[in-house]
Amino acid sequence: MSTLSRDQIRTMMGEVLETQGKAIPESDATVLTEIGFRSLDFSELALRVEDELGSELNFDAPGLRAIETVGDVLEFLEQLQQA
Amino acid sequence: MKRHPEAPDIPLPPGSGNQIVTAGFRGSWADVPTVPLPEVAAALVDDHLAAAGAAWEHAQSPSEALIVSANRVSDDLAQELQDDGFALVRSAGVEPATQQREADAGRLWLLTSGSTGRPKRVAHTLRSLTTVATDQPPRRWLCPYSPGAYAWWQVVTLSLAHPGQDVVFVEAAQLDSWPELALAEGVTAASGTPTFWRQALWRSAENVAKLALEQVTLGGEPVDQAILDRLTTLFPAARVSWIYASSEAGASIAVHDGLAGFPVSWLDRNVPGKPLLTVQDDELLIDSAWSARGFEGALRTGDRAQVIDDRVHITGRVASDEINVGGSKASASAVRAVLLAHPAVIWAQVRGRSAPIVGNVVTADVVLEEPVSQPELTRWCAERLPDYSVPRRLRLLTEIPLKETLKSDV
Repeated sequence: MSTLSRDQIRTMMGEVLETQGKAIPESDATVLTEIGFRSLDFSELALRVEDELGSELNFDAPGLRAIETVGDVLEFLEQLQQA
Repeated sequence: MKRHPEAPDIPLPPGSGNQIVTAGFRGSWADVPTVPLPEVAAALVDDHLAAAGAAWEHAQSPSEALIVSANRVSDDLAQELQDDGFALVRSAGVEPATQQREADAGRLWLLTSGSTGRPKRVAHTLRSLTTVATDQPPRRWLCPYSPGAYAWWQVVTLSLAHPGQDVVFVEAAQLDSWPELALAEGVTAASGTPTFWRQALWRSAENVAKLALEQVTLGGEPVDQAILDRLTTLFPAARVSWIYASSEAGASIAVHDGLAGFPVSWLDRNVPGKPLLTVQDDELLIDSAWSARGFEGALRTGDRAQVIDDRVHITGRVASDEINVGGSKASASAVRAVLLAHPAVIWAQVRGRSAPIVGNVVTADVVLEEPVSQPELTRWCAERLPDYSVPRRLRLLTEIPLKETLKSDV
């Protein structure tokens, strides 16, 4: 199965924010609450990743952990593709 | 006139002289090649001519009959019918029933559309299907419905019962080009689902606009203000009506004022000859004299009814309307209405899609009349809907999906 790079996922995250008139911050350390990136946005990003991959992600595998920053989101979805 | 040799002397229907037109026939009802029906028969027809022949035969001879497009009947259903005493009448010949039984003379069976499961048999008679009782101005009707469907019977019984009501049938293969057919045949009245009308306007609005329609009828799906406005603008001299009907409940609501929904004053109103309409737990209930046998009394329609200002809007199926987004309840019909209100959107379908964290998110398929970006559509929705109801995935389709039922299963 092909996987998406961190940069590709970052671009998709930017697209999710763009539809709300927001821009993705440059720093991966930015806290999600600062940019208003919520559960629904995370779900949408996951669906975008699934659509690009053409397969469903297995969210049960690593277990959801604390995701607080932009970098956490990218890292989590990167890892999820390997699960 | 061709009549079944053993048919009793039944008076001809008043509309027997009306002209009907199919892909291979032009003539009056009385001239239609009859399809001989055994006493208990399921006519599995290949086209409208065969369906009209079976309908005419039934009108002349009170057999027990089911008339349905052959492609709607699976092998299992065909076997089930034979086991229940029906001889199968196909273009290739008659397959006898596996069980013989006495006919329920005069009974007409319909199959439900099956959009919510396997098609069910619903019991009517020619009388219960003939819901237009008053004299009608002369009209030439377009009938695009699948043979044997409730809406098909509505047009057929109108033509059988009233002089001056000609019918031009549209075969499934002609659905894409019906405006040209209607124009050539001088159609003055047409009935179809909102999806049927949307597809026609999207594909060939110029030809649709050339039609000299006096009556435009919509039904079979939720009827929204956007499509009513398009049709009333296109046909300012026509009466634009929407009808609520189902195989089970019969034709129950007819609205002619060009507005979506029906007046709230019609609820809980006891008027002789009119169905009693009520709303319970956001569901429309109908108690009608035109209902099928076994569905008498207050019938739960499964359709969602919502009172907005002074109108009752029927917006979709109760069972499929609600989308649970992280504990918040989004309404698929409300989202669809917002999308359809965008000037660039001609058609929309809204569903829930399984998603991590929140369980489901709202997604939508849309067909556009004019170019518009997805972010702009999302913003349009975000300005009008709660956050959890905004479609998170929008797919742009290049065609309006239209099934043989003329619905999109919205």
